[in-house]
Amino acid sequence: MATFNVNSIGTACPGPITDLIRAYKKAQNGDMIVLVANDPGVVPDAKIWCERTRNEFVSSKDTGDSLEITIKVTGKKA
Amino acid sequence: MKVIRMKKIAIIGSGAGGLITSSKLAKELSKEIKNEEVSITLYDKKTEQEFQPGYLEVAFRGTDPSKIKKRVNKLVNPGVNMVYENVEKVDLANRYIRTEGSDKNRDFDYLVISTGASPDYEQIPGLKEANRDFHTNADKSSLIYNEISNIKSGKIVVGIGGLPYKCPPSPNESAFMLDEYFTRKGIRDKVEIVYVTPFTRIYSAESISEVIEPIYKNRSIESITTFNTDTVDPEKKEITSLEGETLKYDHLFLTPPHKTAGFLKGSEYSDEDGWVKVDKKDLHITTYDNAFAIGDTTNIPISKAGVEAHLEGIVVGSNIIGDIRGTDKNYKFTGRTQCSMETGFHKATFVVGTYDRPVEKIEPSRMNYMEKKVMEEIYWSSLRGHYEWLFKYHFKEDYFQD
Ligand SMILES: Cc1cc2nc3c(=O)[nH]c(=O)nc-3n(C[C@H](O)[C@H](O)[C@H](O)COP(=O)(O)OP(=O)(O)OC[C@H]3O[C@@H](n4cnc5c(N)ncnc54)[C@H](O)[C@@H]3O)c2cc1C
Repeated sequence: MATFNVNSIGTACPGPITDLIRAYKKAQNGDMIVLVANDPGVVPDAKIWCERTRNEFVSSKDTGDSLEITIKVTGKKA
Repeated sequence: MKVIRMKKIAIIGSGAGGLITSSKLAKELSKEIKNEEVSITLYDKKTEQEFQPGYLEVAFRGTDPSKIKKRVNKLVNPGVNMVYENVEKVDLANRYIRTEGSDKNRDFDYLVISTGASPDYEQIPGLKEANRDFHTNADKSSLIYNEISNIKSGKIVVGIGGLPYKCPPSPNESAFMLDEYFTRKGIRDKVEIVYVTPFTRIYSAESISEVIEPIYKNRSIESITTFNTDTVDPEKKEITSLEGETLKYDHLFLTPPHKTAGFLKGSEYSDEDGWVKVDKKDLHITTYDNAFAIGDTTNIPISKAGVEAHLEGIVVGSNIIGDIRGTDKNYKFTGRTQCSMETGFHKATFVVGTYDRPVEKIEPSRMNYMEKKVMEEIYWSSLRGHYEWLFKYHFKEDYFQD
């Protein structure tokens, strides 16, 4: 199980989702993706993305100057 | 007598970014070049350049590929030494480059990398055999027109096959232009057009998505969002997503994910996929203040498009000139995007934003379409630096930050 740390600080929509999709392509089921961004639109966007791709939106944390979103990769075909 | 050592500027890539940078430098440093205080060398083995936005016209309107090509020697400023060789090694610490197959070190004082991005079929098994694209070159784009000319009915799948890719609106444009083509031909009801995208909406930026969603509905273009293309089976004519969903097609014109020039992969100044790590405002490469990257090859989180490459080239060129002349001015790129999106039937919208301003909502209009056409007319001259007054007038405070 690997963790993909994705830093999207300073990028605005669609930057963080682009970074998320690129990391997802390399990940396997069971891996975690930790996306750090400061665009507020990223949380609802990532939630919708997880819902539709059947990946697990684990948590989102506001650390003051950034948002940290944790996603568990569960949606990939076996 | 005071001896001044010649400052050598090397630019890699004679596309949109490399050409405007070399033109800007050669024009403004003409005296220094004449006095042999400065030299500018441009490296690229291509002897012909292509107007890449024209690939859409070639693919979906049957424009002759020769109409969008221009010989490089007609575009390069006489003050620039053109070397028709590709670069295969860049050593930033020791300030030299090597061209393919040569063991000669060519040293530089300033370096600008503008080697663009190109389709990477390796990332999607089966895609190469199954697909025709309008991102590789003009001749390949014309194969699409040959194919659509013979279509009487069936399902065409277009869209984003993977990220990143250049010209974000172009997959949407292909859907609109196909709709126009088959409508004019009178067989639109027999042809299904399906657009796929890995994003959660039809266009990645919400404001533009809101503008084009109704067009998709009105023109009966189907859209499938959050679709991550994984593999393509050319025999079964079927795409499979990372999540295991399948999608049948009769004709496939997907935009493949893109890659950088080979020599950038694995270098200390590129990210793991080979995109060059630069400061998003002054475009210097990570810890090197004499080396820069511009255009599609950077890791900047904005669209990979020609207008951006142009504005970045102006910033970098201006800063190199300032450094040579010892002024302490430092120009910055504002992150300005200006991608046109043709919506068919002589209308277009633009994707306009900066690092500080989100993408605007611009309704499609004939006026926008005309603006796009004007850009096409002035494209080659603009790379020679003939239209900077117009760029300055048009982009105002977004032209650069000083
Ligand atoms: C279908 C389509 C539609 C488009 N529409 C628009 C539009 O409407 N508006 C817009 O602004 N942009 C548009 N673009 C994008 C635009 O064409 C590119 O973003 C632009 O050309 C980028 O400039 P560049 O200098 O980074 O790269 P390029 O212009 O691609 O030039 C890169 C150059 O580097 C050279 N090179 C590569 N490797 C090496 C090496 N090792 N050594 C030496 N040279 C090398 C290549 O030969 C090439 O000549 C479109 C593109 C496509 C495909």
